[in-house]
Amino acid sequence: MSYVNVTGLARRFGGTTVFENVGFSLDKGEFVTLLGPSGCGKSTLLRCLAGLSRPDAGRIVVAGDDITDSVPQRRGIGMVFQNYALFPTMTVAANIGFGLRMQRLPADDIERKLATVIDLVELRGKESHYPHQLSGGQRQRVALARALVVEPRILLLDEPLSALDARIRANLREQIRDIQRRLDLTTLFVTHDQEEAMILSDRIFVMDKGKIVQADAAETVYTQPATEFVARFMGSCNLLDAAACTRLFGHGIDGHLAIRPESIELLAAAEAGADDLPATIRQHQLLGNVIRYQVESRGTVLLVDRLNRGRDDLLPRGSEVGLRIRREDMREVG
Amino acid sequence: MRADLYHRLVVAALVALLAVPVLATLAYSLAGNWGATILPDSFSVRWYLQLWHDPRFLSAFGHSLLISVATLLLSTLVIVPAVFVVFYRFPALDRTMNLLILLPFAVPPVVSSVGLLQLYADGPLPLVGTPWILIGCYFTIALPFMYRTLADSLRGMNLHDLMDAAHLLGASTPRAFLLVVAPNLRTGLMASLFLSFSFLLGEFVFANILVGTRYETLQVYLYSVRMTSGHFTSAIVMSYFVFTLVLTWFATRLGKQESQA
Amino acid sequence: MLNALTPAAAAAAGRPRRPFRHWRSALLLVPFCVLLALFCLAPLGWVVLHSVQGDDGPGFGHFREILASPFYRLAFINSLYISLWSSGCGLLIALIGAASLRRVPGRLRNAVVAFTNMTSNLAGVPLAFAFVIVIGTNGALTLLLRQWGWIDDFHLYSKGGLCLIYTYFQIPLGVLLLYPAFDALDDDWQQASALLGARLWQYWWHVALPVIAPAIFGTFILLFANAMGAYASAYALTTGNFNLITVRIASLVSGDIFLEPDLAAALSVLLTLLLVLVCTVNQMLLKRSYRAR
Repeated sequence: MSYVNVTGLARRFGGTTVFENVGFSLDKGEFVTLLGPSGCGKSTLLRCLAGLSRPDAGRIVVAGDDITDSVPQRRGIGMVFQNYALFPTMTVAANIGFGLRMQRLPADDIERKLATVIDLVELRGKESHYPHQLSGGQRQRVALARALVVEPRILLLDEPLSALDARIRANLREQIRDIQRRLDLTTLFVTHDQEEAMILSDRIFVMDKGKIVQADAAETVYTQPATEFVARFMGSCNLLDAAACTRLFGHGIDGHLAIRPESIELLAAAEAGADDLPATIRQHQLLGNVIRYQVESRGTVLLVDRLNRGRDDLLPRGSEVGLRIRREDMREVG
Repeated sequence: MRADLYHRLVVAALVALLAVPVLATLAYSLAGNWGATILPDSFSVRWYLQLWHDPRFLSAFGHSLLISVATLLLSTLVIVPAVFVVFYRFPALDRTMNLLILLPFAVPPVVSSVGLLQLYADGPLPLVGTPWILIGCYFTIALPFMYRTLADSLRGMNLHDLMDAAHLLGASTPRAFLLVVAPNLRTGLMASLFLSFSFLLGEFVFANILVGTRYETLQVYLYSVRMTSGHFTSAIVMSYFVFTLVLTWFATRLGKQESQA
Repeated sequence: MLNALTPAAAAAAGRPRRPFRHWRSALLLVPFCVLLALFCLAPLGWVVLHSVQGDDGPGFGHFREILASPFYRLAFINSLYISLWSSGCGLLIALIGAASLRRVPGRLRNAVVAFTNMTSNLAGVPLAFAFVIVIGTNGALTLLLRQWGWIDDFHLYSKGGLCLIYTYFQIPLGVLLLYPAFDALDDDWQQASALLGARLWQYWWHVALPVIAPAIFGTFILLFANAMGAYASAYALTTGNFNLITVRIASLVSGDIFLEPDLAAALSVLLTLLLVLVCTVNQMLLKRSYRAR
């Protein structure tokens, strides 16, 4: 029996369905990311778990308790909001201690717990600051501490890193993951950033148009996308339709064939064998440590990534090359 | 859903509360006869007909319109260049101006009229009893609204960049102002003008104390006929209210355009 | 602001300071200053000067006279009483209304704001007449309530009646002033506090009220000042027979008998000082609020 069980969850606004028949389960201490483009319903799903939005159908069970109809106050769920939702009239300490005061804990208990969590998120010395005096990263950590200090059964994070700049984001990402492991906290993280999802998660739930289309470990989602949408959404991908397949490989296909650009090998024309595809370099783009070539083969343009090994290694436009694609790197998607 | 209903009920109650005097006045102005009963006996528009044929009402209404329009013209001619100059040449003055324009807002008209009555009763500027003094006073009433709106518009645009670009293209400063900056001020200005207009039409204190019946305005006229039929006064109140309604409607419409732009 | 300042600062740094460099531009400020001086500063100055002008030289005789007179003291007390009550009631109603106004659909909200805007124009003499029709001696509502036996009689022309009419014109002002303040409340705060275990009232008490408190207080001050300075409604309703401070001032300069402009000036100074004092307290409290820290 899993720690969290969600079955048949649905939410409609007026006539439009945000999501329908959503079901999943989380193990205790698992870090799961809900990944999808904006508007796919992932935030609404999160709010249904938190009790901030009422589902039209379905059950939510946490550790054997059915909390579907509980008020948010009684769910034992902690949440970090996208814009943190810090209370502006309260100091850092008052913000973090708010939940403890609502539980009417004795003052010295509150003090003790505050001290622990403030150390945990490394905010010592900032206790009497107000939110507007803090940097974005510090605010984020206050929000995290406020959600953690009441010892929730589940932690929900709604795009908590999206308002921060790149370097702080990478840093905080590590910190969140580290704290989550230390506390063995079941965590559901919402994001639209596939890179973030792959770095952080034990499992990724990819959401599209109100449905969870794939729920797997990060590697599986990346290497074996279940649908065309997942293939497109997780990094770049060559998606070939039936016509292109026939041209390239001599046989058709139902749906699409997905090939990651980095799994195609570029060979000099002389090295290419009978099974390799003859091709011509059309363009290249420098992506830092990787060079992305646009290569044309039998009337189809493919993206091919190759490690950037220096100037001499660059293949000029118009070069004749061979493409080697292994059978197991091609994946049929619906 | 329950919370939703509560909020709708509160808003409905608020609207009802605010609407009671308006609706009662409307009903009263349309009532043929309404003595000591809760509902009127009959309905007619004769009070309105009587009102709109009363030369004294028409002249008072005309006076009010004339004074208000003159005030707004004067205010536009004086305030627009002043705000522009403050923002373009003397930006440090903006703080002082903001305090100065608060003065007419903070000092009750009754208090100013004590001084005005003594200063301009005779002497070099015998303005008391003439419409001129009202134009001056009404300028101070319109000032805070107009200055604030114009200052907001100027703050919202890149004034110096716009002026520099116009200068580089060969425009003199006055031409640059008229052709480049002024069109951007238009909607804000119009909104504040309509708002001030409705304020000025409702002004009673200055008009009554400083001028009275010597140049009767709408409000003074309304006060002086208080002893005649209540239906008749209701018809005046409603006519006035509908007029300001149209003005505020224009003001909010323009305000919306401004916020969209 | 900053943007507007930079070119001037750059100019000042680049060349020798010439304070009268823009004298032609400054000419455009002259009519503005003249009008403001003639119709706002000069009368105010006259009032201040003449308030300390006795029959025999300068002195505080008028102020002593006012403070010693039960009649003028009553005028102040009546004005304060009506202003405090009407501002308090108006603020409370506006507060409840504005809080709910934020929670109704946009179209309805815009319509109600526009309507409120229009009713804010119903003040002064027209408002007094409207009230006579509704709750005057033979007003529709008075008759209705009397028929139901809820009231024996209602005196619109009394302190209670004035409180009612003042409250009425405070409500739209209060709603229009408070309504934007509620935009400062982030919906996420209520949800965050709910997840942390706070009930609705705890959210309002601990989170929302502290945020909007400066706006509430500022609105109260504005409503209070507005009521203290109001004259037209009371004058129209009671033809100057109710003892309010503004009615006293006006009757000392424009009444039929006993014209005493210097005494009126002294009363005006007292009224203005009172308003200035209230506004200063407001500013001080505002500075102590969290934003300034």
